[in-house]
Amino acid sequence: MEYLANAGMLIGIYIILAASYNLIIGYGGLNTIAHPIFFALGAYTAALLGIGTTLPSVVCVLAGIGVAVVASVALAVTTLRIEGDYLLIASLGFQLGLLQLVNNFEFTGGPSGLSNIPVTITGPGRGWLYLLICAVLVVVVVWLIWRAMAGPFGRAVRAMRDDELACAALGRSLITMKIVIFAFGCGAAGLAGGLYAYYFQYISPEQFNVAQSATILTMVVLGGIGTTWGPLIGAFVLVALPQAITFMQLPSSLVGPLQGIIFTVLVILFLFVRPHGLVGRREAGVAH
Amino acid sequence: MTDPVILLQILWTGIAMSSYFVLFTVAFALTLKVEKLWNFAQAGLMGIAFYTMFYTLNAVHWPPWLGVGAAVVLTAAVSIAVEVWAIAVLRRRHSSGLIFFIFTLIFSQLVAFVLTLMFGTEPETIFPSVMSPVRIVGGVAMSDWDLQALGVTVVLLAVLYWLIRHTRDGQFMLAVADNDKLAEIYGISAKRAYLLSGIIAAVLICAGVYLYGTRAGVTPDVPIGLVLTAVIATLVGGLGRIFSAAIAAVGLALLQSFSILFIPAKWQALLLYFVLFFALVLFPRGIPVWRIRRAKPLAPIAVAQAGD
Amino acid sequence: MSEILRLENLCKQFGGIVVADDISLTLSAGEILGLIGPNGAGKTSLFNLVSGVVQPDSGRIFLQGQPLEGPLHRRARAGVVRTWQHMRLFRSMTVLENMLVATREYPGESMLRSMFATASVRRAEAEARGRAMDLLARMGLTQAADSIVVDLPFGQQKLIGLARALMNDGRCLLLDEPMAGVEGSNYETMQRIVRDEAAAGRAVCVVEHNVSFIKDLCTHAVFMAQGKILQRGSVDELTRSRELTELYFGTVEDHADA
Repeated sequence: MEYLANAGMLIGIYIILAASYNLIIGYGGLNTIAHPIFFALGAYTAALLGIGTTLPSVVCVLAGIGVAVVASVALAVTTLRIEGDYLLIASLGFQLGLLQLVNNFEFTGGPSGLSNIPVTITGPGRGWLYLLICAVLVVVVVWLIWRAMAGPFGRAVRAMRDDELACAALGRSLITMKIVIFAFGCGAAGLAGGLYAYYFQYISPEQFNVAQSATILTMVVLGGIGTTWGPLIGAFVLVALPQAITFMQLPSSLVGPLQGIIFTVLVILFLFVRPHGLVGRREAGVAH
Repeated sequence: MTDPVILLQILWTGIAMSSYFVLFTVAFALTLKVEKLWNFAQAGLMGIAFYTMFYTLNAVHWPPWLGVGAAVVLTAAVSIAVEVWAIAVLRRRHSSGLIFFIFTLIFSQLVAFVLTLMFGTEPETIFPSVMSPVRIVGGVAMSDWDLQALGVTVVLLAVLYWLIRHTRDGQFMLAVADNDKLAEIYGISAKRAYLLSGIIAAVLICAGVYLYGTRAGVTPDVPIGLVLTAVIATLVGGLGRIFSAAIAAVGLALLQSFSILFIPAKWQALLLYFVLFFALVLFPRGIPVWRIRRAKPLAPIAVAQAGD
Repeated sequence: MSEILRLENLCKQFGGIVVADDISLTLSAGEILGLIGPNGAGKTSLFNLVSGVVQPDSGRIFLQGQPLEGPLHRRARAGVVRTWQHMRLFRSMTVLENMLVATREYPGESMLRSMFATASVRRAEAEARGRAMDLLARMGLTQAADSIVVDLPFGQQKLIGLARALMNDGRCLLLDEPMAGVEGSNYETMQRIVRDEAAAGRAVCVVEHNVSFIKDLCTHAVFMAQGKILQRGSVDELTRSRELTELYFGTVEDHADA
């Protein structure tokens, strides 16, 4: 059943995106909206290498992760001293600027994107095999994040969130922690990008714009910022829900905006009614 | 070298086209100054303003003043609703900057999706035609639209200036902008100042949208890009300084216009993003102009108390 | 006695206010130096300069003969640790967690190591935990180990602040008003711990308004006003000086009688 495999892949990819974004903004407290950019970097790198070279797909995806990590470190180092609100705007500007670049260059396929990403797995079991790989990767990513946050590193990060100055005065390098979190989160997004490119075999700039930022953000907010299970539940609900709309046999031009309306209304609702999300508990310390 | 007349033409057209940019920037800068809020919801307001005008003027053919008036009323109403039902709530909760950002951005996204549902994704203009009569003055083509744009902008800015400098409400807005808690102690209602700045912003946005939409096609996701340009101009002009943000807007518009001489058109948009990025990286705490004005009276007291 | 901390001609001003005016000071192992003086004298500023919160305009700092420079975290790793006037405990964490995050060497805290907990991480955690529990035992606070730190009474929180700083195991300990608001058994515990740590070879500097505490604890003291060191000597000498008493608005005199 192709349809189930598609939905499953989407859920898996979005879990990776939501969990990594949650790591960055929920645990790390970094103010960024540009997560789709690293999703895009992973996808485009893997796609371009897949189309243009004979490198095996695993290598291409790894390259995608590498590019995402390098770009994230470069971004982090340049924006290190930018504070709070300005950082959000810088990340938004970075995202839109990079999308413009992708739109303008020929080799990235411009606005119409890349649609000739090579097939890696064929046959009737394609969907299930991909799903299996995706599931394993999802488990690995989520488990790694959980382990990091449950261990001494997570403790240091919580101390940083509580009081940066005291934390630094006890010998912790805040910059290192932030860059490490950001690099891992963006690398995970790059992985999701590689998966996406190879499974759906079509990518275009508009899949990585502000609407995508909003989608990932919705999943994290809905599930509960700064929780382990939150992004998983958020991703599941927000992929499953719009799928329900497709059963209503609406013209395709309506489906997109309708899904978008559902997403955005949900975020706003949760922001006001239940800011700690589905999974989170109302805690004094958690920023909302 | 290039013909001086062409340079003059670029200059003239650039200034004329900077008009709506200025209006959007001033709306954004004013809200930032008075409410300390990066109000990305203004993209949503732009969308509402545009499609109201589009519907009333292009679809059902109301007289222009009625259509524009309806847009102003609706946009102002939404602005007030957002302030009262959403922003005020978040403010009471002492929500973080991220939460305000999420809300305002998502609100604008919601508006964009609703408008897409209602009007589709084809570019639309407020009037069926974007052409207006042109006259040649000294070799430079000046259209009626150009003159209208300049006139509207100058008049609105002058009114705003008068409002801020010479009316009580304007002065109250400045007081709240400077220190809202202190202003409240003196009996100035911060809420009223926020509402007023919201309404003024709505009016400016409607004017800007009218000018933009009578010249270029608009789709539901155009406004978010427009707000971002307003953000850039606000940052470059110096936070808390509305009129220098306006000048920055003109400067950036001219930068974009003249860049046509050096780079292909499709790279022009990128230019602004570069400016934004460099402005933020070089001035990570915002362009220092505003901070200098604040720093002097506060520092010695704070330091003396800390420096035991 | 070995020299731990040396300040040479430290100067710093903010705007028009001079918070450090050519400060030179030496601190040796086993010493407990009291910093006294009126508000605004620059005592906490001196701590800020040594710990790295602020960079001096001129002058140098040496830790065990080596120049002490760089951002806060590097200085803490060199063994300079401080407590804060307002404690700055990590509010969402337990007492034990507050202390575990204060160790100077922290092999488990790299993200990669946290993900793939090797035996070395587990060992480091156990060792740090052991040290933390020992410290808590010395303060009689073992039972508080798993409480959220802000749930504890104020006096105990201040002791935890000290314990947290001691986890750093650094040679130079800067205590900013550790006794403010502490009394009774907590007061005595704190006194005992600080004396023990100095006896173990650390150099301790204490900013305190509670002059009787300074008299009980400190080996000698330094009187600061307006960023300058006006006088140094034993606590007795300083508290008996008329002019300093006047400068201090008579507070010293009152405490001397108490």
